[in-house]
Amino acid sequence: MQRLATQPGEVIDRSRPLPFTWNGKPHRGFAGDTIASALAADGVRIFARSMKYHRPRGLLTADYWDPNAFVQVGSDPNVRAGHRLLEAGMDVSAQNVWPSLEYDIKAANGLVGRFLTAGFYYKTFMKPARLWPVYERVLAQFAPGGTVDYDSAHEYFDKRYTHPDVLVAGGGPAGMASAIAAADAGASVMLVEHEHDLGGYLRWGDGAQRELADDLRASCDAHDGIEVLRNATVTGRYEDNWCAVVQRDHPHAVERLIKARAKTLVVAPGLIERPYVFAGNDKPGVLLSGAARRLMNLYAVKPGQRAVVLTANADGDRTVTDLERVGVDVARVVDARAGATVVAAHGGAKAVESVELSDGSSVDADLLVTAVGWTAPTSLLNLAGDRPVYDPQAARFFSDRVPDNIVVTGGLAGDGSAAELVEHGRATGELAARRAAVVAHTLQRLTSRAAPVADDTAQSMPPDDRSPLTRDAHPELFRSSTHGIVDYSEDVGSKDLVAAATEGYDSVELIKRFTTATMGPAQGKLETVNTVAVLAEARGETIAEVGTTVWRPPFAPVTLGALGGRIFEPVRVSSIQPWHEAHGARPILAGQWVRPEHYGDPEGEVRNVRGNVGIIDVTPLGKLDLRGPDVAKLLAHLYTNKWAKLPVGGVRYGVMCAEDGVVMDDGVTGRLGDEHYLMTTTSSGAAGVWEWAENWLQTEHPDWQVHITPVTTAFTSINVAGPNSRELVSRLTAIDLDSDAFGYMQVRRGEIAGAEGCFMWRIGFTGELSYELHVPSGYGLAVWEALLEQGADLGVAPFGLEAQRIMRLEKGHFIVGQDTDGLTRMPTVGLNPLIKLDKPDFAGKVELREAVEDDTLPRLVAIQPDDPDIVPVEASQIVRAGTNEILGRITSSRRSPTLGRSICLGQVAPEAAAPGTTLTVVLTTGQRISAKVMEHHAHFDPDGERQRV
Amino acid sequence: MVSGMATFRAALSSASLGSVRSSLGARVGSGGADKPPRYSAAGLFIKGARREEWPRVWREVDLARSYDAIIIGGGVHGLATAYYLATNHGITNVAVLDKAYLGSGGSGRNTAIVRSNYLTPEGVAFYDRSLTLYNSMSTDLNLNVMFSERGHMTLAHTDGALRTMNWRAEVNKLQNIDSSVIDPAEVKKLAPSLDVSGDTRYPILGALYHPPGGTIRHDAVVWGYARGADHRGVQMHQRTEVFDILCEGGDGPDGKGPGGRVTGVRTNRGDISAPIVVNCTAGWATTISDMAGVRLPITTHPLQAAVTEPVKVFLPTVVVSGSLHVYVSQTDRGELVFGASVDPYATYSMKGSLEFTEELAGHVLELMPGIGRMRLLRQWAGLCDMTPDYSPVMGFTPVDGFLCDVGWGTYGFKAGPVSGEQMAEAIATGRTPKLIEPFALSRFAAGDLVGEKGAAAVGH
Repeated sequence: MQRLATQPGEVIDRSRPLPFTWNGKPHRGFAGDTIASALAADGVRIFARSMKYHRPRGLLTADYWDPNAFVQVGSDPNVRAGHRLLEAGMDVSAQNVWPSLEYDIKAANGLVGRFLTAGFYYKTFMKPARLWPVYERVLAQFAPGGTVDYDSAHEYFDKRYTHPDVLVAGGGPAGMASAIAAADAGASVMLVEHEHDLGGYLRWGDGAQRELADDLRASCDAHDGIEVLRNATVTGRYEDNWCAVVQRDHPHAVERLIKARAKTLVVAPGLIERPYVFAGNDKPGVLLSGAARRLMNLYAVKPGQRAVVLTANADGDRTVTDLERVGVDVARVVDARAGATVVAAHGGAKAVESVELSDGSSVDADLLVTAVGWTAPTSLLNLAGDRPVYDPQAARFFSDRVPDNIVVTGGLAGDGSAAELVEHGRATGELAARRAAVVAHTLQRLTSRAAPVADDTAQSMPPDDRSPLTRDAHPELFRSSTHGIVDYSEDVGSKDLVAAATEGYDSVELIKRFTTATMGPAQGKLETVNTVAVLAEARGETIAEVGTTVWRPPFAPVTLGALGGRIFEPVRVSSIQPWHEAHGARPILAGQWVRPEHYGDPEGEVRNVRGNVGIIDVTPLGKLDLRGPDVAKLLAHLYTNKWAKLPVGGVRYGVMCAEDGVVMDDGVTGRLGDEHYLMTTTSSGAAGVWEWAENWLQTEHPDWQVHITPVTTAFTSINVAGPNSRELVSRLTAIDLDSDAFGYMQVRRGEIAGAEGCFMWRIGFTGELSYELHVPSGYGLAVWEALLEQGADLGVAPFGLEAQRIMRLEKGHFIVGQDTDGLTRMPTVGLNPLIKLDKPDFAGKVELREAVEDDTLPRLVAIQPDDPDIVPVEASQIVRAGTNEILGRITSSRRSPTLGRSICLGQVAPEAAAPGTTLTVVLTTGQRISAKVMEHHAHFDPDGERQRV
Repeated sequence: MVSGMATFRAALSSASLGSVRSSLGARVGSGGADKPPRYSAAGLFIKGARREEWPRVWREVDLARSYDAIIIGGGVHGLATAYYLATNHGITNVAVLDKAYLGSGGSGRNTAIVRSNYLTPEGVAFYDRSLTLYNSMSTDLNLNVMFSERGHMTLAHTDGALRTMNWRAEVNKLQNIDSSVIDPAEVKKLAPSLDVSGDTRYPILGALYHPPGGTIRHDAVVWGYARGADHRGVQMHQRTEVFDILCEGGDGPDGKGPGGRVTGVRTNRGDISAPIVVNCTAGWATTISDMAGVRLPITTHPLQAAVTEPVKVFLPTVVVSGSLHVYVSQTDRGELVFGASVDPYATYSMKGSLEFTEELAGHVLELMPGIGRMRLLRQWAGLCDMTPDYSPVMGFTPVDGFLCDVGWGTYGFKAGPVSGEQMAEAIATGRTPKLIEPFALSRFAAGDLVGEKGAAAVGH
């Protein structure tokens, strides 16, 4: 191939040469070239090696779908050379070749091809079994594709949302005309073109066609109602026209995903030219007619010197004209409409040298162009539920039935001159705009509380009143009398397909799975119809009888980066977090929250709480504000215990169970006013409990008057714990803290450190006298600092999650999700007195009624290893002595600085739960140790005297 | 098993299975006609040299009017059941019916991961048997199912998750399963593409590593069982849809329901009679069992998966992240195969969603930030039948002769071989094998749920 003199429709800018390298060697192209056209113009004929036999491959379609033109560009694998525009300095190389594209050792596989039929690997490599891993590594060497540099940095990706009235997929003549007509009718239109410019097949057509394209393109670009996206693809159509558009030429991102909710979708992707199956059809020099014309007319590349053209349609005929115009010697035109065809392309491995025809003659040529028909890319219609139907007269599939909010035009709808396609497109655009208006009206009516519509009567969808496009007769040409390649990417030939069908893989899905035909990067756009045709031939059936596979999204591959976008996974922090960070807190991730694990010495923090006073930021505690006359009913339903008699100012602990009786959450709820409560949940359970409560309210008890507001981050929560806590808090508030005035498990509201709207309750997870302060979050840091300042002489110091965990374990308080699991029913945790079966109903009652009687349920018990210095890792198993029979496990374990020994909680089978039982605990090292079941859950202060003072 | 079931078992074994076995004893070995050629490298060479064709992988035969057992569902569970009925018990007058093609359901849609590092002793014993069968499957079935024992890694991103991993590892060790918790440095060594730097939104704190886990070519498993069963006389009937299950003597309409017995099935190709009908479907388990008047506590959810374009192999193990709801492995063809958790809504629709691919890609990039330029090639969905305790429903039902092997949720493929083996034993002996006792339908009435949901619920 070589560069021609200036062509009338060329898109290259000869004033801007671009240097680049191909397999390390310098080359040059022009701005506007694709990588493939630049290489072709520089005389490159071999672009890749085939997957299995490593046969040399040249251009086939010279566009996005070209299966032979996947290249590595720098660290970017699988770049479509037929589509990606050339840039200065690009480092382009062939993929999957060794040692080089020209001399590839694996081409030796071609010599044994007859033994390596499709699926051969299922029939061998079985013995000896120990060698299979070796075979597997060898097979993996044949994986196609480029190399990914997984150490490269995460790049910037972005997403966009849009709500066009009409989304047009395809910017050919019909698509452009649709967009203009829809926009003229007042619709907002997004027009998406897969290629680098609007125009479709007109771009590589004759002067009149290019002129028509220029006019339509200018109208689209100038129209205020149309947003044109070039080099972008509608890759998916999901429910209610929720469409994915991938934009490949965004200035800042490799790709951008646009999510478009279109009121109507116009599907106008045109047609994809289909290869012809014959011996030698994958030799470099065999081109589809579209490829030949694009190379000549867009990129001024002469595709060969002496050509044979197989034509079954007008596109083939125009190719002959174009070839002759640029000086290619057209040695023979084989007219398939007259029954003639090509039998084989002969030549060395690397190029066509002669073409064998069905009349027995052989013609010397270095170029063979085929124009045998099209595949209808009905992917977007499939995604809307359409099952296309094969029309043997036109030799392609057509859509059967699509929803009202989709309109089809262009090649998918039929054939016609450019003018006829434009006319059909115009009618399509008008229809799409009218239907979009109906959809808009319907949506407006549905949401009329927000903005009432003038006309409140339902409108019906305008019927499809377009004059249909005709269907041109086209000969059915799939395979010649010889066998050739059907799937270029997967190196699957028609012979493989026939063999697979003979072996019984004779439905289109089975043959696909067995041979991997249509599974490659083009996902069947070039291969499916030929696969079906070969299978139909093998089965003696028609194409319609065999049917086709279902196209799955995306229509064109999308980078993971574009799909993932920026990762919106927020972390939550309390208003005091900056202080923690500035004071050496070690952060820990707890669900969505980042919080201090400790400030350097967790055991010291414990000792300070037990001896003086400590403060901990417990903001992540879930908080729900409950208001209304029926709150007590809701609480009684969610918790297993009773709530009707909780007085204003009182606080009560409760456990929530799911309907299967499994412990779901726990926490305290306080009554702030007659009809006003505040519920706290576990940090990780906050969202789930809110949903759970709303679910009951909205589905089972809509009559209950309760309003729930999640206020977790509206308050900053600080627990002040330790013997000096009363003195410390009293320095910050006027609230009477005297034990008689403000007892254990009570709540008070008031001002703290000058902050209004606070409340506090006396509870204690640590087992010490403690006050939990809930402060409007804007004052959180101020109150925290005031506590530290006022308490300096009392020995106040912050403590973190770890110290709290140690202290709660010393006290034997369980943590939902750690000491319980997905099967832990409430009796296991030893709180049966809180299960009030005499209540008329509550969540989990039915199961719990049985569970309280069930003496086989595991029990949560406090455990102390005999050796006080051994702390078994949480999850260490408890077994029957001398066996591997599991009796339970350690659920929590720590060294207690207060007691100076290891302490645990664990779930054990009832037989091993009696106080004093000696247990066998298996450490992660395999060592077995003895431990004792304790009488109380609390290892320390079992009577709770310290917190009630 | 409750006592009612025991009575039922006795009735079943005396009424129907006795006759099955006696009538079938004579047929053992008579199926499969000519001895089929074995697959081997030499065979490939000879066939290639002589340009001969291989015979059909399974025969295409006419549908008979009666069988000794009918298996509904031509996936790995149904085919394995048929295969082991024939090989282990000599029962070969069996038809496997599928409304589409063999392997068209979950068997061909899953992400082909196998492992045995479960949480409960029951789960471990069960899946370990499956893994054993998978390990020797290529030679047993004389068809290479490409079992790739590449190791299986479940990442922990929180200390809670790490605790659960420790729990699983400790249970596994006591049962002699190769399973341990490894630290981030070891994770990086096994899968260099993972970001273990720690300054990510979901830092990798460690992983449960299970070297015997891996992947397998799922379609090959289907074909291998079908071929093996065919060689022993079992018939595979594709495009044969069951419209109704014929019953007599039951409490419900048309003799269906508890207390009755099956007599056959009605299909798009006519009625077929059989004393044993086995429901081995997924996605349609409830609609099939409803036909016999047996209600199952199952809801059906879609599970989506996706695959990228191939690149040179860089991910040598299976990587799972529970917190990020993603699992990923790279095939020998170079594609990354992704799966996730089931969609949160119940539906029979198998359309994929855009949101799935977005969330999936975001989570994968969280784990492997450097692969943002790899392209997603294809997404698809399958149907999962979910039970309340994330465990299957296996064995006998209150309708005599109607058995179920359903409710497999998201893990049915892993269990295919052992399920087939155990179901075959149940059918042939009329007794529930010990390994599947915990999975009886009666457990829901008895409140005796299986604990694998614990694995899913802990640490979240």
